[in-house]
Parts: sequence; C-alpha cells; structure tokens
Amino acid sequence: MQVVSRRPDVRQVREPIRWNPLGIAGWLTTGLFLFPLAYLLWESVSDGEAVARLISGTVAGPLIRSIALAVATALLASVLGVGVAVLVTRTDLPGRRFWGVAAALPLVIPSYVAAAALRAAFGSGGLVPGIPRPSGFGGSLLVLAAVTYPYVLLPVAARLRSMPASLEEAGRLLGSSGAMVFRRVVLPQARTAIISGALIAFLYALSDFGAVSLMRYDTVTRAIFASRLADRPTALALGLVLGVIALAVAAATRSSRDNSGANVASSVRIYSLGRARFAAMAGMAGVIGLALVAPVAVFVVWWLRSTGSSTWVPSVQTLWDPALHSALAGIAAGGLAMVLLLPAAYLVARRSSLLASAASASIASTFALPGLVLALTLVYWVLQAPGPIDRLYQSFPLLILAYVVHFGVQAHRSSSGAVQALPERYGEAAQVLGAGAVRRFLSIDLPLIMPGVIAGGGLVMLSTLKELPATLLLAPTGFDTLATRVWGAAADGFLAEVGITSLVLILMSGVLTWFLVLRPSGLADPGADESQDGSVYHR
Amino acid sequence: MGGKFVLLTLVVALATTACGSGEGEALVVYSGRTENLVGPLFEDFTAETGIEVEIRYAPSEDLALLITQEGQKSPADVFISQSPGAIGLLAGANLLEKLGPDTIERVPERYRNSEGRWVGLSGRVRVLVYNTELVAATDLPESVFDLVEPVYEGRVALAPANGSFQDFVTGLREMHGDAAAIEWLAGMEANGSPTYANNSAIVQAVGRGEAEMGLVNHYYNLRALAEDPSLTSANHYFEDVGSLVIITAAGALRSSEKLAEAEQLLQFLLDTESQVFFTSETFEYPLAVDSEPASGLPAFADLNVTTYDFNDLSGGLSRTKELIDASGLEAP
Repeated sequence: MQVVSRRPDVRQVREPIRWNPLGIAGWLTTGLFLFPLAYLLWESVSDGEAVARLISGTVAGPLIRSIALAVATALLASVLGVGVAVLVTRTDLPGRRFWGVAAALPLVIPSYVAAAALRAAFGSGGLVPGIPRPSGFGGSLLVLAAVTYPYVLLPVAARLRSMPASLEEAGRLLGSSGAMVFRRVVLPQARTAIISGALIAFLYALSDFGAVSLMRYDTVTRAIFASRLADRPTALALGLVLGVIALAVAAATRSSRDNSGANVASSVRIYSLGRARFAAMAGMAGVIGLALVAPVAVFVVWWLRSTGSSTWVPSVQTLWDPALHSALAGIAAGGLAMVLLLPAAYLVARRSSLLASAASASIASTFALPGLVLALTLVYWVLQAPGPIDRLYQSFPLLILAYVVHFGVQAHRSSSGAVQALPERYGEAAQVLGAGAVRRFLSIDLPLIMPGVIAGGGLVMLSTLKELPATLLLAPTGFDTLATRVWGAAADGFLAEVGITSLVLILMSGVLTWFLVLRPSGLADPGADESQDGSVYHR
Repeated sequence: MGGKFVLLTLVVALATTACGSGEGEALVVYSGRTENLVGPLFEDFTAETGIEVEIRYAPSEDLALLITQEGQKSPADVFISQSPGAIGLLAGANLLEKLGPDTIERVPERYRNSEGRWVGLSGRVRVLVYNTELVAATDLPESVFDLVEPVYEGRVALAPANGSFQDFVTGLREMHGDAAAIEWLAGMEANGSPTYANNSAIVQAVGRGEAEMGLVNHYYNLRALAEDPSLTSANHYFEDVGSLVIITAAGALRSSEKLAEAEQLLQFLLDTESQVFFTSETFEYPLAVDSEPASGLPAFADLNVTTYDFNDLSGGLSRTKELIDASGLEAP
C-alpha cells in the first residue's frame, strides 16, 4: 500500500479551486485572521506619534533581542524535536512508547509557570543548588525551547511514522549506509514537518511574555507590557511590529510540497541503536528531566511544603469547575480549529500562488501577537460590529473563536501538511470511476488526512488549556480556568496553589491528549513493533 | 464514532448554557484584586443583599485597558483596582461616576479621589524585604534615599514594570518633585540594582538568597512566611516616602445602568466586617475610618501614611513611566 508519486512540476496548480465551496470557505477563514492586524494597523496609522516613536529607534534593542530569542528557540526546538521524534519512531530505543508520550507533555506547561519552576529549581536556595539559576537570554531560551520542542516533535513523529519505506530501501540498495540514508532520504522527507514546527516555536517565542519577564530578558513583549497602560498607542504599534515579522517569516517558510505520498498501515524502517542506545536514553532523560520532571518536582514541593501549616492551600474540589471549563474550552477550540482550517489547508496545499502564500502568512500572524493585544483587537471588532454581534461579547462562542484565531496556525500547518502528502492517484482514480467530489473527500481524503488534522486540533487544544491573557479578558464573566487560577495564585505569591493547580493542568492535558489526540490519530501506536525483525537495519 | 457525537453534543449544549448566562441581571465587577483576596466578600454581599455579582478577575492594568477599549459598551458596573494608577487612568478618562457622600466619607479624604470618583479600600505599605542571614540589621537604611549609596551597590532588587513600584515613584515625585525622583532612579540604576518582574519574584529571590534586599509591598513577605515559616526574610519599614502607603481602590463606571447597586457594593466593601477581612486574611491595612489593622502589623499611625490623587499630578502615570524608562532601569 505504498504510493510514491513523482511529479515533474510540483508547483503545478492541480484543480481550479476559486469558485468551489471549499475555496470560498478557505478564503473566508483566512479573512478572519486579518482582522487583528488590520485594527493594529489602523490604530498605528491614525496615531502618528506612536509610529514616530517606533522609528526613533528605542525599539531597536528589544526588537533585536526578540528576533534573536525567537530564532534560537526555533533552532533548539527543531534539534530537540527531531532528535526525540527519530528516537521514538525509528529506533529500537527501549521504552520508546513511554518516552514518546512523556516527551510531548511539556507542551502543556505555560511558559510563565515553567520559568518560575526552573528558577526555583536551580541556583542557591533552590532544589538543586549546584546548577546555576537560569536567567537572561539563556534562561529564556531554555524555557521556551523546553515548552516548544513538542511542536516539532509531534508533526515530525507523525511524518516519520507514515513515510514509505520504499525510498529508504532504494537508498540501501544503491549502497548507502543507514546513517547516510537517514540524512539524505529521511530528513528531507520530514522537511515540511520540521519547518512547520520550527515556525510555531518561532512565533511562540516572539509572542511570549511570561518566560522573558521572569528570566529578566528585555524583549518587545516586555516593552508592550510596560507601556500598555501609560502609552497604549505604542503598545499596539509594537504588537503590529510582531505581527508583521510573523507575516514575513511565515510567507518565507511556507512549506513546499513533499514529493512523496503518505503510506497507510504499513511498516517503516527501524534503525538499531546498538551501543548508542544508552547515550540515547540518557539524552532523552535529560530533555524530559529538564522540560517535565523539574517543573513537576517543583510543583509537588510547593504543594506539599505547605500542607498542614497553611491556610493558603485550596482543596482539590475547588479545582473541579476550572478543570471542567478548561477541558470544555480546549476541546471546543481544538474541534473548531480542525473544521474551520481544513478548507484553508486545501487552499494553501493545492495552490502555489502568491495569494495562497498570503493566506498562509495571515493565519500565522495572529500567533505572534501577545494574547492581551489579540484580545483587545477582538474587543474592538466585536463591539464595533453592526447588529446584534456585540451580544456575543464575552460569550463562550467568542472566546472559542478567539482561541482559534490566536492558535489557528498550529492546526493550519498540520492540516495543510497532511493534505500535501495526499497521494493524488487515489483521487484521480476515484474521479475516473465517477465518484463525486464530496464522496471522494469523505471516502479517500478524509481517512488519509485525519491523523494530521487531529494532531493540529490537538495542538490548538493544548495551547488553549494554558492560554491566559485573552482568557482573562474575553471569557464569560466568572468562567475561570485552570490557567486563570494559576495566575491568581501566582499573582499573590500563593505557591502551594500554583503547584497543585499546575499539576492538575498537566495531568488533565495528558489525559485529554491521550484519548482525544494520540489514540484516534494513531500517533499512540508504536509505529512499528520490535517484532518486525525483518525491517531492522544494523549499522 | 458514537463517542465523538456524544462529546460534540455535550460541548454544544454546554456552550449554549455558557452563552445564555449573564444576560444583564447581575452586577458585573472587574476586579484587579484576585479571588483569594476579595472573592469571599462578594459571596457575603450577595447573601446579605440578594444582588447577584459576576466577577472578572485579571491584572488591574489589563482591566483598565479593557474598559478603555470597551468605552460606553462596557458590561462592567464596578472596577476594583490593585493600584491607584490603573483606576486613576479611568478617572482621568472620565469613565468613572462621581460617588455619593455616603460612600466616599467612609474613608479619610487622603484615601479617595478629590472629585469622589473612587474610594480607597485597603492599604499596602512599601517596605524593604531583606534576607536576615545576608543583611545585618545595622545595615538597614532609615531613608529610601540611602539606597543609592555605594554600600548598597547591587544589593537591592527592584521591579520597575510593576504597578506598585510605579505608584511609589509617582508618590516620590509628588512629595519631593520630579528632579528628586529622577536623581533617585538614576542612582539606583548606577548602583546596579537587579530588576525583577514583580513583587512575588523579588520576595522569592530574597527568601532563597538570590537577592539580599528588595523594594516590595509589605504583605508579600507575610504571606510567603505563612506558607513557609523557615524562610529567612523580614520586612523593614522606612521612615520616609520609602514606606509610602499605596491603596487599592474602587469606583463605579459611568456607563453602568446599575449605579445604585454599584454604590451599595462599594459601601459593603467599606463596612467593618469587610475591612477586617482585608487585614486579617490578606495582611493589608483597612482604610475605613473605624477599622483597626490586624495584630502583628505596625500601627498605621506610625507609618508615613501618604497617598496622592492622580488627577493632581500632571502627566500622572505616563510621566512616571517616562522617568523610569529614561533612568535606564530596564524592567525584565
């Protein structure tokens, strides 16, 4: 069941999409993502002074630091993500199924919580006094890479699991070594997935305030938060700057089409690690230890330290409602993102025009905005909208839409990657056999792209679970989530409550990820079992 | 597949429920005080008056920004601010209603807006938190102006982007003039004072010995000690503007259609029982005329109890922020 379609011209437009319903839906979705930047642009243009201040150069330092941090985060997250993905999908690493799930979990730790935990874990007075306390550029990079490498890991692991073995077999037959096949054949095939994940990590770092503020690294987001009240126009103009950077970078990294098809329910090559397995396990333990175990250990200590002595520990029952709210919002946002961004995925995957690039970039732009800025733009549009739309203000549907607009790029990159990998021959064959477009989509495309679509929805769900600033402003009044609880406790210095609430958040995210993302998408399957001895390469 | 449909139905049903609530019946409060520090009072208010209250908790600055963005369409009736800066901005933007004498006269004149657009609820005192193992008591300064001396080089942590710190600088400007504020900020910068994101981060840093001292609000260390009594950190009170009293304050929005209920809530928060909550549960100072601070806190009268009206300050918060920026103190 392997299909490798070689196309002489991969940039060819396959079918006219302009006027079909899918195309229209795709453009409408894309349009939705333009509203935040449009408002920021309007505000900045109508306030000449803010623009003048930006040009005056005071923003240069923070801007350079923001970009440097975002680039470094994307690179480190890519190295970690690809490394872990390869180990858990393509090697005989002992316990790789366990490692695979554990390695995805740091995604659910909010960066401000991870930063606080790592600062409490290391340095004098910390749990591990011997290791210097992380701070500044290095500390910010450490935290951001730790919480963003799963964005690379998940799509790359999915890609590596579905890559046809035939290419690698061909490489072997032509006399290349295992390592060489891996470098020359496997990695290029995963390029789209790597770039997608790296872009998400880049945008995440660009928009992050929590980690950089605790690590004391002066970026654009810091400037936005420092000036937000006293000098709102400058804060909004700085938000626009981040959005424009996102547009440019997303357009430049728009994924090229993979030139090999997906492969369904078939075996993939498994590489034997040999003696390197101990080094691999040590590396894996190091990554997970820093990104997951260290924060979790700090939360447990915070929680346990005050049992008995303090009035500030909430009972776990009080977390039931926030947990339910978080789960509900996460599932709804993930589900809506899956559906809403699918047409845009076809639009972008099947067309190579400038417009398609612009669509892809505009979907990415909203993720670079700090949540506070994004929320304010939506407040403007909803309250200014004609008719009864303003009744949606601070309602659950609008909150979910805000999450989708904020995090849509995660679903978009994952879905469009899946659509790009669709083997076209199936569709062509079905067309020849007289199947209608809808039937072709339901019976052929959908089963093949579903893992990618679900993975994208899952990323949006996880991002939603930990989202804070937009939730604080846009949620229905009284709709508290685990993330807002963590904020409230942290703001007052109630560390015990931060600890227990963060633990519940991580646990719940893990359970939801397992049942709603990993199992239905097939990503939980080990890919190829150890029993497939016939397919094991020895170096 | 069936499970998915059940899930979907559940989500839609709950979404509809969430959508249907909050149809303008309840009094809507935007609270910069977190739930731990004020939530129980709203429950008591509802129990006593029968008026339902819906509360949105978020940082005061973000809520002030949100109200500015919402304008006349704001669903909020009452705004509770952790800092005079955020509520002062709304008063300056003419978004707050003038309150009646029954409300504002419950607190001394110095703790309320001169036009009666907001009243103080509770007071926090700026202190120097210090690590008792790293700092000798004889090293502690009487005046906040001493901190620019070489002996304190690199030893005093600040949170330049924090609202309370900015409020303190505003107080400094009002009492000693812009020139003195500029000189002090420059001195702290030249002294290599390490900067942190907020009060909590400084108290934690001092508690674990990363920083020797830090300028914070008094109650952060009291709470940290309640949670972990083994911490070696203590509060030191200055004898001047360094121990400025910063108030939390509340006001009613002009766009509100429930001004009567809004004032009722503000009066409730100034009742003795509510004021006792502020001082016993959160270690803050009560501001209503007839209330006493909790035991263990220095008597309010002994402190340099000063606050200020942002309306009286030309430029207010934005001028303060300009001075902090110009000093070169870089907030994290």
